[in-house]
Amino acid sequence: MTLKKQRIFWAVLFVIMILAAFIIPFTPLFRDLTSVYGAFLFWNIFAIVVIVCLGIITAKWGDYDER
Amino acid sequence: MNASTIYLVLFLYFIVGSIIARYARKKLGSGVNDFFLGGRTLGGIIAALTYSATTYSAFMLVGLAGFTYLGGVGALGFELIYLSGLVLVAFFGPRLWLVGKRYNYLTPTEMLGDRYQSKKVAIVSAIAAVIFLIPYSAVQLIGIGALLEGISGGAIPFLAGVGIAAVIAVYWTFTGGLKAVAWTDSLQAAVMLTVAVLSVIFIIYNGFGGLGNMFAQLEARYPAWLTVPGPGFFNIHAFVGLTLPWFFFSLSNPQVSQRLFMPRSLSQMRIMVMGFLIFGFIYTLVSIFWGFSARLLLPDLEVADAATPALLSLDIVPVSIAILVMLGISAAAISTVNSIILTLASMVTRDVFKNFRKDTSEKRELLVGKIFIPLFTVFILAFATLRLDLIAALSVASSAGLLVMVPALIGAFFWKRGTAAAVLASIIIGGGIATALQYSGYYPLGLWPGVWSGLVSTFLFIGVSLLTRPPEHKAEEFLNYLQEELNPKKII
Repeated sequence: MTLKKQRIFWAVLFVIMILAAFIIPFTPLFRDLTSVYGAFLFWNIFAIVVIVCLGIITAKWGDYDER
Repeated sequence: MNASTIYLVLFLYFIVGSIIARYARKKLGSGVNDFFLGGRTLGGIIAALTYSATTYSAFMLVGLAGFTYLGGVGALGFELIYLSGLVLVAFFGPRLWLVGKRYNYLTPTEMLGDRYQSKKVAIVSAIAAVIFLIPYSAVQLIGIGALLEGISGGAIPFLAGVGIAAVIAVYWTFTGGLKAVAWTDSLQAAVMLTVAVLSVIFIIYNGFGGLGNMFAQLEARYPAWLTVPGPGFFNIHAFVGLTLPWFFFSLSNPQVSQRLFMPRSLSQMRIMVMGFLIFGFIYTLVSIFWGFSARLLLPDLEVADAATPALLSLDIVPVSIAILVMLGISAAAISTVNSIILTLASMVTRDVFKNFRKDTSEKRELLVGKIFIPLFTVFILAFATLRLDLIAALSVASSAGLLVMVPALIGAFFWKRGTAAAVLASIIIGGGIATALQYSGYYPLGLWPGVWSGLVSTFLFIGVSLLTRPPEHKAEEFLNYLQEELNPKKII
């Protein structure tokens, strides 16, 4: 994947994830489909996924220091 | 709780922090960059701890616990979306760090002024930061004053608590600049997290017999607190209105974005980012559990922000734990205030004073910067003692007001067409709208001030840019440099 496509991929992924974090727990369908702990688990999983994604993205930063 | 015990604990804390600050001063260089940025040589762990201590204020164990008490699990969503705002650092962190080194920028607002080739941009954005961050800092001191007054049963007067916090903050900052702030922040971050985790474990096991039992009781007695909008506080308008401005904190708050200039390398910045994320995730969960505990143990509080002080006064919490929590909350507030004071001093010195006195030597600039440290502390102290309604309004408006910097910052790195006139329009009009809406309490279409200030500043930045002439040569040079540095290493 070219660098430009990578930038677009991560930007789009983050926008989708963050919009989902804003909207999904508030929807009646989400409340119907999940247990009473749905929102608590959803936001925790969201945060863990964000942390993992940032771990992947920032892994490249160490390469800059080796120049 | 005995007032003399609290005074003694705070005094010992001040002594330990002062020893660290004095030691940090020995490692301080003599230049402006050394004093305000630690010479851009911070290691990843210290950078992560100072980033965490600066970002997380007394709001967490008082305000966020109060939000949870009042509105339930929506507070968790608010705070974790705020934490996820670090995704912006994935894109802007390396860029800010690179241009900071290349052009020797001291402040994010200096960077804006240079990128848009306008002194006015630097001056106006620095003044906007002062307008919003002084009341925000004052609220931190008000929080400590109220907390100490509350847990001592009035034996420690409000003004004494505010004064103690201000003296600690200014002494550590003045003693050793950023190095002292970063090292004492590290102590304070360690105290904040350790105390918070231990105390919440203690309360959960003493109060409920374990985490599972706490959630079982919540489900049985307050099931609405586990859903959104739940009891009603976190309706979608309030949730978006509170969360959206804070999502951009890593760019909009200069005391936070300035920290992107400080790590000694990008690999150390990576440690800073990942360390902060882990710290923030744990600290958020602890604050939420704290609020849930208060909801179950103290269901009839009239003021949600009283949840933490009230919890500390329960029989199940030993005095030693309560004192440690008080210390943790004070540490959170002081570590935020001293970082803001240092950043504001650097901004006013570099972006305002030096723009009017071009021939200023580095030695004189540093002297002026140091003079502004006690000066800002006095301003913040004066604001805190006034306890005006306007302070609360401006403090709450701070996230919405500072949000108006974001379009200009994004444009600086990703849009050649951005202009100085557009930056000025977006900051002045957007900031004015945020303050007016917050103070009047008028929310058009039900949207909160942060949503309006974000929309208006973005619209103005794009619209005015298209009607005015950009600094083409600077934009070309600035963005080409970043491409040359980032692209070969495939850094996004």
